[in-house]
Amino acid sequence: MSEYVIEMNNIRKEFPGIVANDDITLQLRKGEIHALLGENGAGKSTLMSVLFGLYQPEAGEIRKNGQTVKINNPNDATALGIGMVHQHFKLIEVFTVLDNIILGAETTNKLGFLKKKEARKKVQELSEKYGLKVDLDAKVEDITVGMQQRVEILKMLYRDNEILIFDEPTAVLTPQEIDELMATMKGFAAEGKSILFITHKLNEIMAVADRVTVLRKGKYIGTVNTKDTNKQELSNMMVGRPVQLEVQKEPAQPKDVILKVEGLTVPSKLHKNDAVKNVSFEVREGEILCIAGIDGNGQTELIHGLTGLEKASAGKITLCGQDISGLSIRKRSQAGMSHIPEDRHKHGLVLNYTLEQNMVLQKYKDPRFQKHGFIKFDEIRKYSEKLIEDYDVRSGQGPVTVSRAMSGGNQQKAIIAREIDRDEPLIIAVQPTRGLDVGAIEHIHGQLIAERDKGKAVLLVSLELDEVMGLADRIIVLYEGEIVGELNPKETNPQELGLYMSGAKRQGKEAE
Amino acid sequence: MLRVDPSTGKQKWYTTDGTKSVLSALISILIGMAVGSLIIIIVGLTKDGISTKGIWDGIRLVFMGILSTGRDGAELSFGFNPVNVGNMLFRATPLIMTGLSVAVAFKTGLFNIGAPGQYLMGIAGTLSVGLTLGNAGCPVVVAWFAAFLTGVILGALWGAIPGIFKAFLNINEVITCIMTNWIAANLVTWWFDSHEIFKNAAEGGKIGYIIPLKNVGVVTPKMGMDVLFPGSQANGGFWIACIIAVAVYILMTKTTLGYELTACGSNRHAAKYAGINDKKNIILSMMIAGGLASAGACLYYLAGNTEFFWSTYLSLPPEGFNGIPVALLAANNPVAVVFSGLFMSMLNICGTQLKSLTAYNEYIADIIIAVIVYLSAFSMFIKQLLNGRKQKGGNK
Repeated sequence: MSEYVIEMNNIRKEFPGIVANDDITLQLRKGEIHALLGENGAGKSTLMSVLFGLYQPEAGEIRKNGQTVKINNPNDATALGIGMVHQHFKLIEVFTVLDNIILGAETTNKLGFLKKKEARKKVQELSEKYGLKVDLDAKVEDITVGMQQRVEILKMLYRDNEILIFDEPTAVLTPQEIDELMATMKGFAAEGKSILFITHKLNEIMAVADRVTVLRKGKYIGTVNTKDTNKQELSNMMVGRPVQLEVQKEPAQPKDVILKVEGLTVPSKLHKNDAVKNVSFEVREGEILCIAGIDGNGQTELIHGLTGLEKASAGKITLCGQDISGLSIRKRSQAGMSHIPEDRHKHGLVLNYTLEQNMVLQKYKDPRFQKHGFIKFDEIRKYSEKLIEDYDVRSGQGPVTVSRAMSGGNQQKAIIAREIDRDEPLIIAVQPTRGLDVGAIEHIHGQLIAERDKGKAVLLVSLELDEVMGLADRIIVLYEGEIVGELNPKETNPQELGLYMSGAKRQGKEAE
Repeated sequence: MLRVDPSTGKQKWYTTDGTKSVLSALISILIGMAVGSLIIIIVGLTKDGISTKGIWDGIRLVFMGILSTGRDGAELSFGFNPVNVGNMLFRATPLIMTGLSVAVAFKTGLFNIGAPGQYLMGIAGTLSVGLTLGNAGCPVVVAWFAAFLTGVILGALWGAIPGIFKAFLNINEVITCIMTNWIAANLVTWWFDSHEIFKNAAEGGKIGYIIPLKNVGVVTPKMGMDVLFPGSQANGGFWIACIIAVAVYILMTKTTLGYELTACGSNRHAAKYAGINDKKNIILSMMIAGGLASAGACLYYLAGNTEFFWSTYLSLPPEGFNGIPVALLAANNPVAVVFSGLFMSMLNICGTQLKSLTAYNEYIADIIIAVIVYLSAFSMFIKQLLNGRKQKGGNK
């Protein structure tokens, strides 16, 4: 019996024009949590797709318990006990949780009827054993993202998989859900299941992983024991240069009020109550105000109410001295607001458009880019080439790359380039670093601080405590649509912030 | 890996998306015609009275019917036939317009299956205004433009209805389009039923037809078509359709309006985020689509010699639905729509040749057209195959 349950030896996978995996070796021990670390585009997903039978490698071999195996398709992988939770869940929204779990592995009686009772019993046992709480009869479209992930995990367990792959599992979870997931993963490992954990979040690796394999630009950099390393070393291995993990910034020099929000109330689309209740705050020139809170406490609706994507039912918004409460989205934007949206695929980009077309998403009507309604293509090309250069946006074919074909980090860089270059006094940035790797995060944080220092007012919404503590000059905490506290990051700590975020603590009304 | 020209940094022409679209359309057309020939053979072998030579004649007409000049003794003769070619151009005109209508809607993320209804509204508008003004002795030019514009505007308004439902209530445009189609069919029948003055009572043998516009002289000029294709129905309407196709191409690719419409079509949320009025653009897009479909009807009936069977409440005009395959075959490119419209119309001519020159009847011709149209929809699939093959080649 080999030391390793799965070995991927000297894997090479090429795509036209690029070597996605170049001589990569990954060895997974039984009962360990093995992290696979790398920036976007380092080849993590390709390697996992090779293991899952979605791609065939040009060179190298895969061994299970020392035996060479050939994985031609995902069915082969499942037969070998390999299961995967994808970053974007593969669930059928209109099916119930139970139906989703048994889908593809249904057991039937002789007449071909589903044996749902047995399936339900097995799922319930698994759910209790591992503390994975799910509502078996709820439809997937109605349950939270965290529960959807538990459904995906139960799917693997239901199929008796022994090798569990988690692809960026924490990107969509709240801090509490992340803690739960980490505990669950440790439980699996203690039981002898082997876990491959794809991530670029160093905290999580240090918390749960036994060993880490680092990839960079398709190449194998090394495998290290977690206890023998630290975050700084890992991030240097991943990026290939020393990385600034702590945000460096000078104290803020706040000046005039740019944005003043008074009594803003936004109705919820999900339930009858208001999602944002009578919220008031100010953002000044030269400061970063951060709205902290657990996902779903009204942050999205607050920003939509500010930008005009949703109608506020009450309240007054003043931007640069102008009342913008009743204005259209475009008018508000022209009044001095740029907006880095929460969902870059839904709001930030027209994915079928080329990069240059996306660069002028708000500006196409400027006299600079059109004459009598005819687009000046030369000007757009020049402008986007400048932005691509200045903001280091990387893509296959430059300005004419279709945005869909770009990596997530570069899509986000493109949006940030576009929004910052609009040079408006207020920058609203909603989770600007979500799903990005260390190098890109460092870059984006640097840009936001540079804009602050130029005298811009920055309104930042973030779910990451590290980001909140590192970037903010002032923090307001949103809980169930209300501001429950305003904090100074220098005088508080993550624990106190967590208490406000979970609603356990709140300041009096006078502390507006 | 020489898919990109090193000197210019541009993709080589034979690897571009456009080339692949054209290639895949041509391949699917060829497969369609081959299957059509197969049907000719099977029918010929199973039906009495068709000889081997008859089958061979049938196959040749499927491929070359447009060049048929009739029979020379017992043999089929081929050559340039101005009547066939001219009629092809004439019948292509409404197909190009409905094809443009469907293509524009597709580009903006909408499926305009309402072209038949919009087409009917165009007919009603153009015939009513044309006949009324023509009878009143209005100058022909004024009457022509009034008739054309009334038809286009009616069609655009009719197209706006599904657009409004989609924009404000998020009701799927396919459902509202189907309903407005039948409402239009009944509305138009009721309109002509209650207006005796438009009915062609003068020619006794023709019951149920509207007076053709040539009777009042409101007719599209030939614009040289009578010289090029003597004896055919071809008229200047074809040129107008070509100009409109180019105009639509420019609108969609070169203007800020086209940028907005396409942005709304590809990602309504991102368009809204950018400050584009998504509701306005959805309605506008359906209005343009409706106007284009009804313009096809106007051009067809302003030819003058075409006669409209007004009691249409049980049927929808096939030109409306045929816009869908025309747009699909052209991969929604407005300029390519001209060619796919011509191709569909050519099949129609081949069908009539098949009927008049061989023992095959018109229904066989229709089946063959249907097969070819059906296989044209495969062009997307063939394009995928082309892409896949290229990628594998790149790996070596």
